[in-house]
Amino acid sequence: MRRVLLTTVLSFFCLSSSQSISATPLVVEAALDRQVVAPLLEAFEQAHPEIELTYRDRTTLEVDALTEAADPAPDVVISSAMPWQMNRVNQGHAQRLDSVQASEWPEWAKWRDEVFGFTFEPIVMAYRLDLARRMMPPQTHADLHTLLRTQGETLQGKVTTYSPSLSGIGYTLFQQDARYTARFWDLVTAMGDADTHLESDTRSMLEGLTDGRYWLGYNLLGSYAMVWAQQHPEVIVQVPQDYALVVMRTGFIHRDAPHPSAAEAFMNFLLSRDGQRVLAGQTPLFSVRPDVIGPYTAQRLRDQVGDRLYPITLNASLLAFVDPQRRDAFMTRWQREFNR
Amino acid sequence: MIQVEGTLKARLAILLLVMVSGLGTLLMLEAFYSTQRAAERAYDSQLEAAALTIAESVQWEGSDPVVEIPAAALQILATRHQERVFYAVLDHTGQRISANLDIAIPAAGHEEAAITPIWRDLTQGDTRWRLHGREYDSAGWEVQDPVQIWVGHTVSGRQALASELFERAIIRFVAMVLLAGILMLLAMQVALKPMRRLRHQLRRRKVDDMRPLNARVPEELREMAEALDTLFARQRESRDTLLRFTADASHQLKTPLAGLQSTSELALNSRDPDEWYRALAGVHDGAQRTSRLAGQLLSLARLRHVGEADELMPLDLKNLLHETVLEWAQREVAMNHDLGLDRLPAEPMVVQGEPWALRELLGNLIDNALRYTPPGSEITLGLKKIGEHIMLYIEDDGPGVAPEVRSRLFQPFERGGRQDTQGSGLGLAIVDSIAQRHAAELQAKERLPHGLRVELHFPAAGEAS
Repeated sequence: MRRVLLTTVLSFFCLSSSQSISATPLVVEAALDRQVVAPLLEAFEQAHPEIELTYRDRTTLEVDALTEAADPAPDVVISSAMPWQMNRVNQGHAQRLDSVQASEWPEWAKWRDEVFGFTFEPIVMAYRLDLARRMMPPQTHADLHTLLRTQGETLQGKVTTYSPSLSGIGYTLFQQDARYTARFWDLVTAMGDADTHLESDTRSMLEGLTDGRYWLGYNLLGSYAMVWAQQHPEVIVQVPQDYALVVMRTGFIHRDAPHPSAAEAFMNFLLSRDGQRVLAGQTPLFSVRPDVIGPYTAQRLRDQVGDRLYPITLNASLLAFVDPQRRDAFMTRWQREFNR
Repeated sequence: MIQVEGTLKARLAILLLVMVSGLGTLLMLEAFYSTQRAAERAYDSQLEAAALTIAESVQWEGSDPVVEIPAAALQILATRHQERVFYAVLDHTGQRISANLDIAIPAAGHEEAAITPIWRDLTQGDTRWRLHGREYDSAGWEVQDPVQIWVGHTVSGRQALASELFERAIIRFVAMVLLAGILMLLAMQVALKPMRRLRHQLRRRKVDDMRPLNARVPEELREMAEALDTLFARQRESRDTLLRFTADASHQLKTPLAGLQSTSELALNSRDPDEWYRALAGVHDGAQRTSRLAGQLLSLARLRHVGEADELMPLDLKNLLHETVLEWAQREVAMNHDLGLDRLPAEPMVVQGEPWALRELLGNLIDNALRYTPPGSEITLGLKKIGEHIMLYIEDDGPGVAPEVRSRLFQPFERGGRQDTQGSGLGLAIVDSIAQRHAAELQAKERLPHGLRVELHFPAAGEAS
């Protein structure tokens, strides 16, 4: 589904009321739920009333296609599909951001000062209370495997995870899982045996859990799941206890950005202490900056979960995931194991 | 006059600066190229490593090669400078099996890489790339074709490393130059110490201290010190000469004055007017001689102290000689002598000279000859051109001068060992001074069978105007 959310009522109001005839437009194409990120956008609009923000929420693959087409190019590109973002940057679709915020940004969360990871979102499992009543909920990947093997009949058709072919983030997560252990393929086989449903986004999985269609979800975006669980008490979020992957939303300014200065202002706000404070306090996206305090910070998460967080760092090795042959090989194996 | 032309320090500093900047330019050029090379080598080896890692992952599935690009290879390619990376795996026909960017590999490069590993610099858009291509043997069960692997990355890391290395080279060089400069200054201080010592010693010296220097000097200053010593010696000599001259002059003036005194005293004691008359005549005679003596002393002093002649003009010696001899021949003093001229050469005898001084010179020579030869002697003057010189001579057939006295003949108050004349002993000294002013050489020779010959060798000047 294509959701095009135009400017907020607030900015419409600004446009009609005051001097904003000269307002600079700014187009952000993002694979990031508008609802989740709304407080940040509002804070930005307050800080920069002279910029008229157009925020479009899309899927990762749509964002990637728009970036490549550049017709016209978006000003800022945001996506959780890190390998695709890296690939575009490597192709030269990004422009360098030279600012204090950019240079102070942690090395592991940026590449070439062009693309920046500005959130810190753990990958979690989620289950319904129904499941907890019947069996011991899984706490680790091994638990999940055992559960699928032992309670296969009960869980038949009630397990969900990302589709590696439809979702960039899902594919990335499975690739990363497979990098850590070859036993991952046993898990894929077990999920295949349990007739697991493959969804294209976390929201669909969470809706399924709430509906009762699903009892157990694997590899959900923790940021969405945690907010969902607060509103839907029947859903429990579990950060895996053996290792938890962490993905970052990455953003860059498009090389052909029509409004580069507005784009710079947006990126700088995103990386600034103010922007990150909003992220940490009003969104579940988790701030990367170590000097920001709030319920949602990387530091806080580390304190709670310990050293078991495995962030997917921004570096050239991510490019391997988007190599067509490698992708084909992975998908072939996935199909083989899943349908075994 | 002393003209100060810079300082030794400034000269040395400029020399050093010129040499250092020349040398520095060469060194910097060398450093620039060698740092570039070093950076290239360092990063090229990364490319090699990445290519090898990719080659390891080539596998044959049936008749198709399959590459699962290893993430590590991309990390190696990106380096710590986070370069943009490029890879391409080609089959033996040049078809791409796998590639991440559409950077065109030149066909020539593909052929060349089949033989030996190659490196290429490439600019795409405004981005510079460094590519490395290499062929690897590989074989499946059905097909045994080689694959070619191309890897590349942008060059910011190389540039950063090269400029970092180059910067360090520059800093090292500048530090070395500064240090060398400081050491040079110190060395100059030490090296110039003997000069300062000498200067202090000269400054402390009393005005009339003409003793030779007593100083320790390095080899380079020896000549200067020796020149100073020679100067002191000459000053000492000249002062001695002056003192001797003053003493002699006083002595010479004293004798006629004493004569005057005694004559006048005798006359005062007498009542005889005849005595008075004779005495008065004597006094007159004495006063005349004294006055002449004083005049000659004055002219000698003037000649010696005026220094260089300032207004030399070309003049014909022939005319001058002719006129002077004619004038003297008519004088009373020459009545008893045979004063004459040799046959003069036809062409003009032009020298650079002061007419009054040359006339004085001739006068003194003639006067001298008249005084020191017995009446009836023959005195002959003549001119002769010898090569580039014009010789003026005067000879007489008088008693001549003993050889041991001849060398002192031109010194003041020297009368050729004779006490029987009215001469002041200054005539030839004046001649000598004038000859020196005209750069002429003065020689006294023996004339055979008896007599004296005085020769003056003038440097000949151009044609008289």
